[in-house]
Amino acid sequence: MLKAIVIDDELYAREELNELLVESQQVEVIAQCSNAIEGLKAINSLKPDVIFLDIHMPQITGLELLSMLDPVSMPKVVFVTAYDEYAIKAFEDNAFDYLLKPVESSRLHKTLQRIKLINEQKLDQPNYSPITCQKLELIPCSGFNRILLLEPNNIEIAMSEQTGVHLLTDSDKFTASLSLKVLEEKTDLIRCHRQYLINPTCIREIKLLDNGSAEIVTKSNHHAPVSRRYLKVIKDRFGLL
Amino acid sequence: MEVTLLLLQQLSVYLVITYLLSKTPLFMPLIFISGRNSHRIACYILFSSFCILGTYFSLSIENALANTRAIGAVMGGLLGGPLVGLAVGLTGGIHRYSMGGFTDVACMISTTTEGLIGGLLHLYYLRKGRIEQIFRPMIALGITLFAEIVQMLIILAVAEPFDQAWLLVQSIALPMIIANSLGAALFMSIIQDKKAIFEKNYNAFSTTALRIAQRAVGVFKHGFNAKSCQKIADIIYQETAVGAVSITDKEKILAFVGVGQDHHLCGTVISSAYTLQAIEQGEIMYVDGYSTSYQCSLNDGCKLGSVLVIPLLEADGRVFGTVKLYEPKQKLFSTLNRSLGEGLAKLISNQILLGRYIQQKNLINQSEIRLLQAQVNPHFLFNTLNTISAVTRKDPQKARELIQHLSHFFRSNLKQNIEQVTVREELEHVHSYLEIELARFADRLTVTEEIDERLLSLKIPTFTLQPLIENAIKHGTSTLIGQGKLTIKGYFLEQSKETLVVLEVIDNAGNYREPSSSTGLGLQIVDKRIKNQYGQQYGLVMTCEANQYCKATITLPLHSRQEA
Repeated sequence: MLKAIVIDDELYAREELNELLVESQQVEVIAQCSNAIEGLKAINSLKPDVIFLDIHMPQITGLELLSMLDPVSMPKVVFVTAYDEYAIKAFEDNAFDYLLKPVESSRLHKTLQRIKLINEQKLDQPNYSPITCQKLELIPCSGFNRILLLEPNNIEIAMSEQTGVHLLTDSDKFTASLSLKVLEEKTDLIRCHRQYLINPTCIREIKLLDNGSAEIVTKSNHHAPVSRRYLKVIKDRFGLL
Repeated sequence: MEVTLLLLQQLSVYLVITYLLSKTPLFMPLIFISGRNSHRIACYILFSSFCILGTYFSLSIENALANTRAIGAVMGGLLGGPLVGLAVGLTGGIHRYSMGGFTDVACMISTTTEGLIGGLLHLYYLRKGRIEQIFRPMIALGITLFAEIVQMLIILAVAEPFDQAWLLVQSIALPMIIANSLGAALFMSIIQDKKAIFEKNYNAFSTTALRIAQRAVGVFKHGFNAKSCQKIADIIYQETAVGAVSITDKEKILAFVGVGQDHHLCGTVISSAYTLQAIEQGEIMYVDGYSTSYQCSLNDGCKLGSVLVIPLLEADGRVFGTVKLYEPKQKLFSTLNRSLGEGLAKLISNQILLGRYIQQKNLINQSEIRLLQAQVNPHFLFNTLNTISAVTRKDPQKARELIQHLSHFFRSNLKQNIEQVTVREELEHVHSYLEIELARFADRLTVTEEIDERLLSLKIPTFTLQPLIENAIKHGTSTLIGQGKLTIKGYFLEQSKETLVVLEVIDNAGNYREPSSSTGLGLQIVDKRIKNQYGQQYGLVMTCEANQYCKATITLPLHSRQEA
């Protein structure tokens, strides 16, 4: 059985697809999410084999969600859309799998067969970069009792800890559902340590330490370590020798 | 005494000539003081002639001439100004000089002086801004009297021998002063009459033309057709009081009113040779029924006896129809109506072209409405079908209702030619749409409606609310992760002197940005249509507080002038 997550903002659309998947008897729907933020969390925590992803969703679209996933642990993706000329053209051009709403069960069957085949033969994931965005405009985070969409330039430091990836702004700390690697690739944050990213526009001071490493102090007085390996990169970036 | 009578006799002949001349266009420049060179030249030529005429009509007395030359000189100056007066006087004087006699030099000087005197009075009134005063016969009488006395003094001063001059003046002074003053007064009176008649005609002409123009405005709003043409024909018929009026296109009679309307039927193919010629050549045809006989080509018993056919011209000069004015056999065509008719054809042509322009604009509006309707986007349609597909599993009854709402929604979209609907009808259309959206966004959308019941029967342009609601959902509530709230309000608002009808659609997303050319098209059309119909002060206003709310407010007048 394939483990699947259905992500769609319309209740009936989720239910309809869920019914069809149950009917197929090849898939177990482990979660239904009504927006991309819930979807991202569920993907990270439940590690599905396949996601059924709606394109039009509030705040963060399906394609943006795709950009937030770590390519290494990426599940199979099946796009689901009612009507979106541009997206459909992009799917066809790149031979990505997609379903049109209302979904026909025979068409769904074919899709499931193909996923099975990829799984059995351990074929490579398709490369989604042609349709995903190069830079993220909003980073979904969970704070205390709320979901927040953070603009990347408000982040001063991103750090990976046991409890997840944390983002420090001038006054707050949030937990992001994205990996440090995705943040590094899809935002302007730069790496200064294996576990730290820093916003170069927020650096106030780089304190050089005796052992060849350093420490960055941000405008809001947050501290981030700089490892020897990345210090050179940072120095180069600022034109320091 | 005898001299006076003789001189007055001469004067009569002189005035008869003046009167006859006043019937010709030669006189036209005299009745308006324009100060243009053309006016001055006309005055100079005319009054120089009168001066010379006065000399020819003179009586030979004591080796000198008793004459009415002074009238020309003084009048020339009076009507043409000092320069013209001087020139006329000099011309008349030189001519007199050429006739010889012992007063030749004196007469030349005095005539020139008289012209100058008239001119100086002209200048005086011009400076005082009361130039119309010179048309008063009493003024002409007074100034000529004065000028003649001056002339007598000049003769006494210049002519030699003095004894002879003294005798002459004794015998001619009184007759000449009387005859010239009286003559100038009568001359001016003829000019004054001519002026009065002209102004009266002119007023009648402009009043009629203006009234027709005023009444014709907007008649061709719906195009050049039998109905609009009949309206215009009626207006022309009533205002000009001609025997009959007809309007044709290039093939047939579109409208006819007046004498002979029993057989000049609308839709009859044009058979009149004159009309066909006017259409062919694009020229005005006038058949007076006297020099060229006119006979109605439709019926031998027709009472119409003369016709004026004026082609209607496109902007590029092509003929697209004619206007025809008729008079019955016992009546003559007035020149007034002839020239009016030509102006009318121009007016009608312009009105028709304007009407066509407005019609095309309306067509664009129409197609814009269609565009609005076509904006029912496929995304909405397929999502709806998907929803119905899902609902069918669990609640076939509800699925059936949704299909009904969908078909109702599409059906009202297809009612393309209706311009106005009641608020109730527009709301029904909106409800069908909302029922579907409520099903789609089952757990994420709530709608509240606060509509004043008295609004329901009011007429508003079709597709006024629908695009606002669609916009509020598509770009508003559907972009929210949490609950979307939509409020529709309708109420009356008393503002200064008038009662406004206000319709509001409010969402709780607060996403509105200034529309780019394509996304905001629906809203722009709503606004434009209301402004077109009711005026610039009405229409659609968007207000937005980011992340709080977005409000679309429509204001309309409660009592629209459009209905009248």
